[in-house]
Amino acid sequence: MSRMNMEISLRRRVTNIVMLSITGLFTLLTITVLFCILGYLLYHGIGSLSWSFFTNLPKPTGEAGGGMANAIVGSGKILLIATVLGVPVGFLAGVYLSEYSGRTFAFVVRYVTDLLNGVPSIVIGIFAYAMVVKPMHRFSTLAGGIALGIMMIPIAVRTTEEFLRAVPNSLREASLALGATKATTIFTVVAPAAIQGLVSGMMLNLARVAGETAPLLFTALGNMFWSRGWSQPSASLPVMIYQYAISPYEDYHQQAWAAGFVLLALVLSINVTARLVISGRGATARR
Amino acid sequence: MPAGGINAPQTSVIPKLRTRDLNFYYGSFQALHNIGIDIASRKITAFIGPSGCGKSTFLRTMNRMNETVRGTRYDGQILLDGEDIRKMDVTGVRRRVGMVFQKSNPFPKTIFENVAYGLRINGAKKATIAETVQRSLERAALWTEIKDKLHKPASALSGGQQQRLCIARALAVEPEVLLLDEPCSALDPVATLKIEELLFQIKETTTIVIVTHNMQQAARLADHTGFFLMGKLIEFNDTRAIFQNPKKKETEDYVTGRFG
Repeated sequence: MSRMNMEISLRRRVTNIVMLSITGLFTLLTITVLFCILGYLLYHGIGSLSWSFFTNLPKPTGEAGGGMANAIVGSGKILLIATVLGVPVGFLAGVYLSEYSGRTFAFVVRYVTDLLNGVPSIVIGIFAYAMVVKPMHRFSTLAGGIALGIMMIPIAVRTTEEFLRAVPNSLREASLALGATKATTIFTVVAPAAIQGLVSGMMLNLARVAGETAPLLFTALGNMFWSRGWSQPSASLPVMIYQYAISPYEDYHQQAWAAGFVLLALVLSINVTARLVISGRGATARR
Repeated sequence: MPAGGINAPQTSVIPKLRTRDLNFYYGSFQALHNIGIDIASRKITAFIGPSGCGKSTFLRTMNRMNETVRGTRYDGQILLDGEDIRKMDVTGVRRRVGMVFQKSNPFPKTIFENVAYGLRINGAKKATIAETVQRSLERAALWTEIKDKLHKPASALSGGQQQRLCIARALAVEPEVLLLDEPCSALDPVATLKIEELLFQIKETTTIVIVTHNMQQAARLADHTGFFLMGKLIEFNDTRAIFQNPKKKETEDYVTGRFG
């Protein structure tokens, strides 16, 4: 009887160790992938990461000192337009879903939003091409920004709705009982109570679209020079990486590695900041 | 005593709040049957009764808070100073009839901003806000404890302090009526005592209506008491009469602890 117990407990212990090892191993694998990508990009691109990379325009192959300043600025401008479009639309729609709408309408809107989220990014690019580029008869920063903004909307709607719903109803009641209107309650009590989640959600959203390449291919197109204003074609980091990577020149490849590293570092730092935002005030509130 | 009518205590003063033939429904369920009551001005009126008897529902009809819940409706009249509250602007009603909830619900803002909130949304002049905040905190017997912590988050206060903060917040807009829904049920006896004391103070300027599951509290505090059972107002009278000389058997059974 006791030998059987010993066998069973030995089997259990072995199973335990095996499972722990397997799950631990795959966790390690997941983390390693990210660090491998970072390391690989850094290793290959470090040679081209210099001051001139961040301040100079592209130079023809063979010439030293070429950079991607226009792509960095271009991405910045495009993302700015995307934010101006995506954040207010997504936020206000999320407010409606969370605070005003009836159950059926909310269900339908949520479903449609999820469908929009699933549209391939290149198709969004084609849509923006038809809606913005063709009427304007030009490729532009604006068109690229609109394409990315459309991609931001579904996630903005969902995260806004989720974080607003998470605000306890007791706060709404407290505000209404003081004579506040529903709109005042939403904008002075509910949204501020959810602000951490809202801000970090928007940041993660931004980080996600920052790396999108396909929608920019025929909206912002690309530019080897500075793009003035908002209605000129514009360089952007992801598209520049693509153009340099498929070129036959080794020094361009080097620069593509560097750009890849910069883009990844940008996305990661937005992600990390978003995490800090969401845990920052939480720590002080839970005194 | 007229059926479904008033069991009003003897008062020659115009009632602050009056309901007539009030029937309230959550969807198809009738939660209140034919409630007719006169709430006297600047007195404390308490509602007692077992869980689920409708006293909280009735309280919330008086500042139209039930409207925030889907599927509710009522027929009958609720009059504030003689005016039907359904015909008035709802935010105006709520400014005049304030509410303190069972579980304290301070905003995730500073103590000062919590009390100032009602003032700001009602367009009070900036210069007067600080003064009014102080006055409200004094009335809520909280000023001395927190006057050096005004700009700390309200969440740092204890449960009893938070509830007094909610009272201060409600008082800041100077309501004519203050509705309290079991305000002490989550508090310890010391905190409860502090709140009962401050209710005695503010009743000089404010009509108070309090729902409580604690009969002793009603006996201590209230001038008039109403006993609810299964959505009906069984009896409403001077508190002393309710507790010492109840006219209905159900009332007597409840106040003597035979059920509830």
